Amino acid sequence: MTIEEIREIIRLVTETGVGEIEVQRGENRVWIKRQASEPPPLPYVTPVAQPVFAPAVPPVTPPAASGTPQTPPSASPPTAEEKLPVITAPIVGTYYEAPSPGAEPFVKVGDTVQPGQVLCIIESMKLMNEIEAETAGVIVAKLVPNGKPVEYGEALFTYRPI
Amino acid sequence: MPFDVDQVSQRLGGRTVLWLTETDSTMNDAARLAALGAASGTVVGAERQTAGQGRHGRSWYSEAGLGLYFSVILRIALPADELPVATLALGLAAAECITQLTGLAVDLRWPNDVLVGERKVCGILIQQQQENLICGLGLNVNHTAFPEELASIATSLRLETGREFAFEPLFIDLILSIDRHLEILTTQGKEAILRLFTQASSYVVGRRVVIDQGETALRGTTAGLDENGFLILQGDDGKRTVVLAGGVRPA
Repeated sequence: MTIEEIREIIRLVTETGVGEIEVQRGENRVWIKRQASEPPPLPYVTPVAQPVFAPAVPPVTPPAASGTPQTPPSASPPTAEEKLPVITAPIVGTYYEAPSPGAEPFVKVGDTVQPGQVLCIIESMKLMNEIEAETAGVIVAKLVPNGKPVEYGEALFTYRPI
Repeated sequence: MPFDVDQVSQRLGGRTVLWLTETDSTMNDAARLAALGAASGTVVGAERQTAGQGRHGRSWYSEAGLGLYFSVILRIALPADELPVATLALGLAAAECITQLTGLAVDLRWPNDVLVGERKVCGILIQQQQENLICGLGLNVNHTAFPEELASIATSLRLETGREFAFEPLFIDLILSIDRHLEILTTQGKEAILRLFTQASSYVVGRRVVIDQGETALRGTTAGLDENGFLILQGDDGKRTVVLAGGVRPA
């Protein structure tokens, strides 16, 4: 094993938050353990080549009214003239609001979500597609009951962009 | 004998293979590496998993040193709605490899459980995070027994053949078989995989099954795959249902 390879492994271990790793190459065995005091792993990195979903309606930026204090985004129902963006299903499958039956849902109405945060899972055959928030926002409505089938492009959530 | 990563990586053209003594689940490790940009084809395996993952919160029984437990990072140039067919392709890949190496007759239970007789020998799961597919595979190799709750539904290559198997050749052939089947998917399209799957699986046409849909169960006879690879069920109530996911069991 070359020193470059060992460096690369150390880099992976440091960056990924893998606690402990053992790599064997021929007679060489390298065992690396991270100290408990290390900072937590980096947050999910999201260079998006192909967005998992696109808002069906472009996010509307609220006009920054001069002089009036801006009200924080809320989960209150949309007013008649307000058209909130939705997050849609990228594939046909079964919608799951939680990682496993009985577990806490990924998000609840009123939650503020950040880009890259997992909102739900759509299972198609045995592919579990983790649907992530693309932009920051507040979840206003969850539109599909847990465990129900969803069509391609079906609206899953409405949200108010921040 | 520790898993010979060096030999394996060489035989696979220098592919990155990380083999851990112990981890919670190779799915988590592979997902972290994928998010950091690890190359498509990178594999993370483990001798022991303390929390091997199955479908939707289920666990995969991962006894140390007796099975192959690994996750492959894949990025496949296909539209999002065609990616689920990769689960069928991976099932085919595992089934073909097992048959060639062991001589066992295997069956595929939709979407991708690999069975010998009625018992499961290999389980496959894909987690998709953005464009990254994290494909987990658990193969029961040298188990001589299973815990009571699994004994009637699980089996191993050793239990079926009476022989012990070295991990490295199995692993190499599995990876090569996965590569081959994904190439079929990307070059010949999903129709080719659906055709192969229909030939290889006794569950696709004319099989009496019960399908667990969480709170309810559907009962009926299978009637082929639709154009996306979903299983069509002719229900006993006369209704035709397209099964998107869920546990299919013989009725």
